Amino acid sequence: MGSAKPKPPQKPKAVKHAAASASTSAASSPASPPTTVAGFTVLPVLYAPAVIHYLYAHAHSAPKHKSSKGKEREELPEGRTLFLVNVPPDATERELTVLFKSAGTVEKVVFSTGPEAPVPEDEDEDDDEKMSDEEDGEGESADSDEGMDSDDAPRPSKKRKADGTEAPKVTPLPAPALRHVRRTGHTAFVVFLDASSLARALTPPPKPPAWPTDAAAPRGLEHFTALYRAARPPLDVVRAHADSWVAAFEHAQAAARQGGKYRMGEAVVDEDGFTLVTRGGAYGKTLGGGVGVASKRFVAGVASDGDGDGKRGRRKKEKKEKEAFYAFQIHEKKRKDIIDLKRKFEEDKEKIEKLKQSRKFKPY
Amino acid sequence: MAHDLKRKRPLHPLLPAKRVHRSPQKEDVSEHSGSERSDSPSRSSSPEPNRPQDSSHSHHAVRPPTGEELRNIKDATELYCSSSFKLQIDALLPRVTPKYQSASALESFLLALHKLLAAIPSHPPQHPLHAARSFADRAVAVPYVRPAPSEDTNWKVAFEPPAEIILAGSWATKTAVKAIDSIPHQVDVAVSMPSSLFQEKDYLNGRVFQKRAFYLAVIASAIANAKDLPCDQFYHSPSGDPRSGKEFDKLNVQICIEPFLADSPIPLQRLSPARSNVRTGSHDESSSEEPTPIYNTAFMLMTTPKAHLLSIHSLKQDVPGFGDALTLLRIWANQRGYGPGKRMCVRGFEKRGMWWASLLAMLVRGEEPRPGMVKASSKRKPLGKGLSSYQLFKASLDFLARHNFANDPVFVKSKDGHRFPPDAYSSHDATFVDSTSSVNLLAGVPLSSLDMLKNDAETTLAVLNQVNDPFDAVFLKDHRDAFSRFDIVLQLDMSSAEMRQPSAHLVADHGSVYNALMASMMSTLRRALGDRAKAVAVLHPTSAERPLTQALPVSPSVIHVGLILDPEHAFRLVDHGPSAEEQETAVAKAFRELWGEKAELRRFKDGRIVESVVWEVKNADERAHIPTLIAVHILKRHFGISSECIRTWQAEFDGLVKAPESIKSLYDARGGVSTGFKAALAAFDGLVKSIKALDEELPLSVLNASPICAALRHTEVFVPVAIPLKAREGLPPAASYLPTMDFVLEFEKSGRWPDDLQAIQKIKLAFFERLAASLAASVKGIHAAVAVQDSPNVRPIEDQAALDIITPDGWAFRAHIWHDREETLLSRVINDQPHVPKALRRHTETAHEVQAALAARSTYLRRFVHAPRHHRAVAALAHQLSAFSGTVRLTKRWFAAHWLLRAHVAEEAVELLCAHVFLRHGMPAGEGASVPGVPASKERGFAAVLAFLKDWDWTQGLSVALDYGEGEAAPAGAKVAGKLAAWALSTSFDPDGHAWTARGPSAVVARRVTALARASWDSLRALEAGEGTVKDLFRHPTAHYDAVIELDRTVAPRYYQNVDADTTVWAPRGKYANAPSRNDGGGGGPMPGFDPIAMYCDALTHAYDAAALVFYDAVGGDRVGIVWQPKLKAPLPFRALGGFSGKPVDKTEGKTKESQKALVVLNEQSCLIEMRRLGTGLVV
Repeated sequence: MGSAKPKPPQKPKAVKHAAASASTSAASSPASPPTTVAGFTVLPVLYAPAVIHYLYAHAHSAPKHKSSKGKEREELPEGRTLFLVNVPPDATERELTVLFKSAGTVEKVVFSTGPEAPVPEDEDEDDDEKMSDEEDGEGESADSDEGMDSDDAPRPSKKRKADGTEAPKVTPLPAPALRHVRRTGHTAFVVFLDASSLARALTPPPKPPAWPTDAAAPRGLEHFTALYRAARPPLDVVRAHADSWVAAFEHAQAAARQGGKYRMGEAVVDEDGFTLVTRGGAYGKTLGGGVGVASKRFVAGVASDGDGDGKRGRRKKEKKEKEAFYAFQIHEKKRKDIIDLKRKFEEDKEKIEKLKQSRKFKPY
Repeated sequence: MAHDLKRKRPLHPLLPAKRVHRSPQKEDVSEHSGSERSDSPSRSSSPEPNRPQDSSHSHHAVRPPTGEELRNIKDATELYCSSSFKLQIDALLPRVTPKYQSASALESFLLALHKLLAAIPSHPPQHPLHAARSFADRAVAVPYVRPAPSEDTNWKVAFEPPAEIILAGSWATKTAVKAIDSIPHQVDVAVSMPSSLFQEKDYLNGRVFQKRAFYLAVIASAIANAKDLPCDQFYHSPSGDPRSGKEFDKLNVQICIEPFLADSPIPLQRLSPARSNVRTGSHDESSSEEPTPIYNTAFMLMTTPKAHLLSIHSLKQDVPGFGDALTLLRIWANQRGYGPGKRMCVRGFEKRGMWWASLLAMLVRGEEPRPGMVKASSKRKPLGKGLSSYQLFKASLDFLARHNFANDPVFVKSKDGHRFPPDAYSSHDATFVDSTSSVNLLAGVPLSSLDMLKNDAETTLAVLNQVNDPFDAVFLKDHRDAFSRFDIVLQLDMSSAEMRQPSAHLVADHGSVYNALMASMMSTLRRALGDRAKAVAVLHPTSAERPLTQALPVSPSVIHVGLILDPEHAFRLVDHGPSAEEQETAVAKAFRELWGEKAELRRFKDGRIVESVVWEVKNADERAHIPTLIAVHILKRHFGISSECIRTWQAEFDGLVKAPESIKSLYDARGGVSTGFKAALAAFDGLVKSIKALDEELPLSVLNASPICAALRHTEVFVPVAIPLKAREGLPPAASYLPTMDFVLEFEKSGRWPDDLQAIQKIKLAFFERLAASLAASVKGIHAAVAVQDSPNVRPIEDQAALDIITPDGWAFRAHIWHDREETLLSRVINDQPHVPKALRRHTETAHEVQAALAARSTYLRRFVHAPRHHRAVAALAHQLSAFSGTVRLTKRWFAAHWLLRAHVAEEAVELLCAHVFLRHGMPAGEGASVPGVPASKERGFAAVLAFLKDWDWTQGLSVALDYGEGEAAPAGAKVAGKLAAWALSTSFDPDGHAWTARGPSAVVARRVTALARASWDSLRALEAGEGTVKDLFRHPTAHYDAVIELDRTVAPRYYQNVDADTTVWAPRGKYANAPSRNDGGGGGPMPGFDPIAMYCDALTHAYDAAALVFYDAVGGDRVGIVWQPKLKAPLPFRALGGFSGKPVDKTEGKTKESQKALVVLNEQSCLIEMRRLGTGLVV
């Protein structure tokens, strides 16, 4: 979950100490790269003989001002969560678990980007954009983008493929253990079972460990073949998935309608007593109700205006002024035309002059 | 005071008066000095009342212009193409005219030359051979013409000092124009041979030419001996005709000394074009009665230099625009190879300066009426003398484009009427008699070259009328590149050429065997190709000067023949001749004589029995070769040029868009294979029919099925092939690719679709499932599978599901469902009712949601709005212009071979570029109508695209006139075009121009395209010179990649399409022919559209988006090129979200303070290891 990104300047002092001690111990390593970079511990990983990949790690600390995010604290408990930077793009949870086995048992790995089965927020955007400032605030509500009111409606269960309670269960599409290729240099959280593992993980080993291979998740050609196959499940599975999903969706919609503030066909009146007049959807009234007034023409008008910025009315009122009514207008217009003509001529002249400078007029 | 002065000046009788007249124009003159000469006297002398105040304000554009300026501006816009065109002409002219003022060195040289020539002592009459021997030790050969004089000749040669020495030609009339390829200016010095040297009978058998040769040799030796004239001397014979020998002196200019006849005892009426003046010895009298037009003209040309000089001079006096118009015309001609040049030039236009001038003279002075023609001349009225240079130029192009030189002789208005009866010129190919009415200036110019001239004039007129700023294309570009100019180019080695029926008479007339052969070759080719070709041009470098020791000129042995085809007729299979009843007539004989064994009597369906020539072809590719076959056949039959001596490039180009032979035989061995675009379209129609038949089974009926795939619009690189599923088993992995053809299904409208984006995608799944199940039930042997996600990184609200269908014949399709409500919903997310206050909106979108919706909408618009329209427009164009689809296929191949197609340049963008090249001169008016300058062969189309790409300034965007039919423009969807959209290809349907370029090429890649096009263009030029092969254009240099990852060819399913495919990769080997191949994916059935290389490269692009650019050949590539982002090469401060894999940089100890930030640098080694790891099994 990318929302829990700690900001590097806030690194805790304890880590610094650990890093400092690590640097003294690893000073004798042959490649002798710096052992800390901007407060991150450098963890070299051996890819191939003489080719080393560098992970950067420090202990995870939840942002202070987001005290409300209790759930996140549960997921990424401070004290036993390691924040990793520059995770290989094809890393899987198991590979990271194996890599840190020497430090201790890994409870789970949370990748900052991309859908991943173990993380509940799997529907979240796997968007790559580097965490805008509002990232933390929107992490949760991003789930409810389904065009219905979510203010006080129960969380639509269709979003939870796994934990539907009262709604019909969605039959999932088969998901084989496939790697997910992420952006290079992405980040991950490694949550250890035991707090003591963290310090061990932050101590660079005397020799860079080799990058482990997760045999269960194929790579390369096999991976692409499996991916292709997985995208084409048997017809009955597709059917079951589609049917159950739609059923769950309808259920959720019905629930939203019941729990919603507004009822179908009822006017939306706010505290001041004003009635909200909204446009009806093309397929009946939109969910929240309101008074539908929009005609097809209005809809078309808004669409053709592009932005639909409501200027239509005003535009109609602009009456056409006669342009050449008085003699002086005709005169002015002629004069203006002539001046324009000359200006254009001068512009052309300048342009040609410029071209001349660039010796363009040498035909051969 | 100043006022006073100004008033006084005009009163001054001397120079100042002129200066004052000029003063308001001073600025004008200084800014474009070229206009000085074109200023008509009336313009500069017109009085202007408020002049004294003018001089200061002309820089202020806000003030209205004076009448003078206004007139200038109006002149520029109305008398010229546009005002900027006029200014451009003014800027161009001084660059191509010699600087007469600074030629004092030349003048003194000419004076010295004059003195020398006048002082040459006379030689007594001698036998020609004896005379020649007297030079032998002095290293000057006498350029006697063939047949050379022998011992028993009974005439003598002599020398007397010239009667008159005049400066002639363009230098004297100040109409000289700089020649192309830095050939120096020519100054013609005409030297009059005294009449005492000649006798009455000298017109016979080239005696005059022999005497002139001796005269020239004497002059040459005199100059060679003169110590005070520092120069090199050469002989020169234009057009390889040895009779018109000349001498060159090299200073910074060339001086041509040209002996002429002022008055002589030779009766000129003997030289009427209808007379025969060459007796070919042993032949009897009847054959010698055939006229010798070329010979006679060459003779007559010796008498004209003075008259021509005078006529040009008087034209210059009468017509103010004449000089500039002539200059423009000659630049235009030079750029197109009608003139001297070192590259391939059109045959017949060397030393025809007088013709270009006479062309203008004819337009202004009109034509001499002919007795035979009734009012025919009234259709061409003489033009006014006051026309501007541009108007005269355009008028002459118009004449060239319309005039039929073959049937319609032209006689320029002359003072004394016709000298020879007009009918006497009937033996000439084309007739254009000059204003002295003595020479046909087009004698010896082959008709086919005139066809070419006509074609070029038409093209230029189209450019002038259609293109926005035509100046560059008309005057500044070199148009001599054979590949972008001719539809078919043949390179001939003439060394073994020999006429089948040599004619002594023809040789005598033309002066050399070579010239006679060329003349006969061109007319035969022209006759054989008939209306198939609009022009047949023979190209060779113009004749070069030769040292004085060499008497006869050498002829170029390698020439090019270029054909411009008429697409309507060019690919006809049968040529009809005379019918069987006329077996014995001359026509029938001529037909059989022309075609030889190819001519045969055939009976046709309508009962006619006629002589005919049938060209047998197996497929469309071969059909495009018919004109070449004809040319090769004719050259072989009549001129003994075997096919080894003829080089064409068509087959090489064909090979680039064709699967190798071994693959074909592999397919053929399996049986049931169908190929071709037509077959694919038929299969598509069949599939649509069977889908529509399922109406009962589906909840909504299908309204439309629109194809959106290159294979269904004739523009796929490789011709689509279908192999039945059964037969596919055991195909080698390197040839196992099964391409899918995408189309869009539109269902009837219904209110029951959910109003939710994600739900719509799920409903689509349900539709596909139903469709797949019922198709499988109704069509036997069909294979259908729902693809739930087409790429791993797709968003849940994006259109993602598709239906893979493989028909029983083996055609693979992929269906998408279009639901138009999606766009409304997406637009709502993106821009939720901006007129509704934020507080009242039903929900607010996060930045991420808007991002996702934008991406989803761009997919939606591209797939469902733009693609079907684009498909229809391109398919229509491919139908209309026969060469279009081949051009697109070659161009796509080129983009792919340079690792750009698909990942960086969309196929549709390539199609738009090609469409622009075909449509830039205007749309064809209707079926079969053609616009000049539009390629009629794919090779020329491809060369034209390359020529366009190399010069295209893509920052300006491009407007493509592709016809999308009626209808409003699409909603602007690509506002997020961003940094990846360097190209803007706008059409009437997509004014933004980013529909197909929003995802690339970026500016970096666009620059690469330009550089690659330039390099390929150079290879093309080398090809023209006979070096290299066509494949060189498609071989990608890999030196500039930071890393190149080699892929395993044996598992790449498209490898067989590689440009340099290695056939051993798929050759059967190993013990078991039917052993399961490796990438069957565990035998889970066919995998339509499965291309792991593309998936791999997409994954790389996705993963290393911020760190590297990934390049690969989408059409059978076996390598991947990586270029690291240049900004990552230097160490950067460490950031947790740096977006690239960095390694810490060693810092010198002691300085590591907090002030210095920690630096990391791109870890290229580990990235490469990761990339190879991602491609396990694919990477070697």
